[in-house]
Amino acid sequence: MKTLMNRRSLRGLILASFVAVAGCVVGGGGYDGGASVGYDVGFYEPFGYDYGGWGPGYGVGLPRRGYDRGRPGGHGAPHPSYRPAAPTRSMPSLPSRSRGR
Amino acid sequence: MNKRYRDKDGVLARWSLGALVSVALVAVAGAASFVLPPLVQPASSERHAGKVIWVDLVTPDLAAAKRFYGGLFGWSFNDIHTGASDYSVALLDGRPVGGLYQHALHSGEQRQPAWLTFISVRDVADAEHSILAHGGKLLTPPRLYADRGRQAVFADPQGAVFAVLQSSSGDPEDVLAAPGEWIWSSVMARDPDQDAAFYQNVFGYEVFEMPGEDGAMHIVLSTEEVARASLNTLPAGGAAKRHPHWLNFVRVTSATDTAARVESLGGRVLVQPFRDRHGGLVAVVADPAGAPFGLLEWTDADSKDTAK
Repeated sequence: MKTLMNRRSLRGLILASFVAVAGCVVGGGGYDGGASVGYDVGFYEPFGYDYGGWGPGYGVGLPRRGYDRGRPGGHGAPHPSYRPAAPTRSMPSLPSRSRGR
Repeated sequence: MNKRYRDKDGVLARWSLGALVSVALVAVAGAASFVLPPLVQPASSERHAGKVIWVDLVTPDLAAAKRFYGGLFGWSFNDIHTGASDYSVALLDGRPVGGLYQHALHSGEQRQPAWLTFISVRDVADAEHSILAHGGKLLTPPRLYADRGRQAVFADPQGAVFAVLQSSSGDPEDVLAAPGEWIWSSVMARDPDQDAAFYQNVFGYEVFEMPGEDGAMHIVLSTEEVARASLNTLPAGGAAKRHPHWLNFVRVTSATDTAARVESLGGRVLVQPFRDRHGGLVAVVADPAGAPFGLLEWTDADSKDTAK
């Protein structure tokens, strides 16, 4: 009886181990899965495009904190698809606090 | 069955069990060995949804990229290697500033290396639902990376690629980036008006229009009273082909000097240093593999309020 139990336990353990090993190898963190086995962010942009070509006045940077939003020359859409910040809101900028201060 | 056979069976069972457990442990160890470090150490409960909290370079030549960025910004590197992936965490004064990931290109394949922008979200599944509902596309399904968190890669409705990250260790605090750290991000879009609506719906940004002198549209995206990114009309191409993309900027003390160093290290200058609206110089450069990124001067005086 004891031997029979040992054999059953052994079969169960073999099965459980295979399931565990298979899970590690196959699962590998698929869609919303567990921890990943490799990095899968192998993203490249399409080839042959140009990244320059900025003309005079083309500014991508940000204004200083408190920049006057009422300055003329804005090119916002007259009826934008987005919800513009209320006119009373101050133009945001970068944090002024340095690390450790 | 006599005692000797029962003992033999017992020994056999223990040996078999030991062997199987060993195999399972080896498999588990091998499978789980790719562990990215946490973004924040020690972990914090800070969360700044909508903030750019990480960038990863995808490059075909990791060694060359490390030489270039190490020489340019003084970054050091902590390599993470598994059979399948070669990844290196870039560090500045011991703080992680980004990741470099080697992804081989097949012979004859021409692709554009790039820095991938990671935006903080509270929940990746919710973000995925919102992105898809507003016209974005899923490029890489959500995956959990031990210690770093859960992340996924998407394209906005106009094709600019970005990632979202639900950091396991909280988000980096909102402080002014030091020279050599990423300080700013921009999206170049064919239709900034439509793209601003997309990013506002997904990330809850406040949207500020900025005056421009070039006829193009420039928008600032903000959360928590902090500017997170700008959205800009993709410059007219003429003969050149252009496509929507994110572009990240490293803070430098001199864009002119750094642009010169880019060239001496084998990179290229795509947009010569020019004075931007905050008063400092901005330039766009590319590393030796062609990955574009920006340089942006920002002084302490730039952080002070301007006269209203």
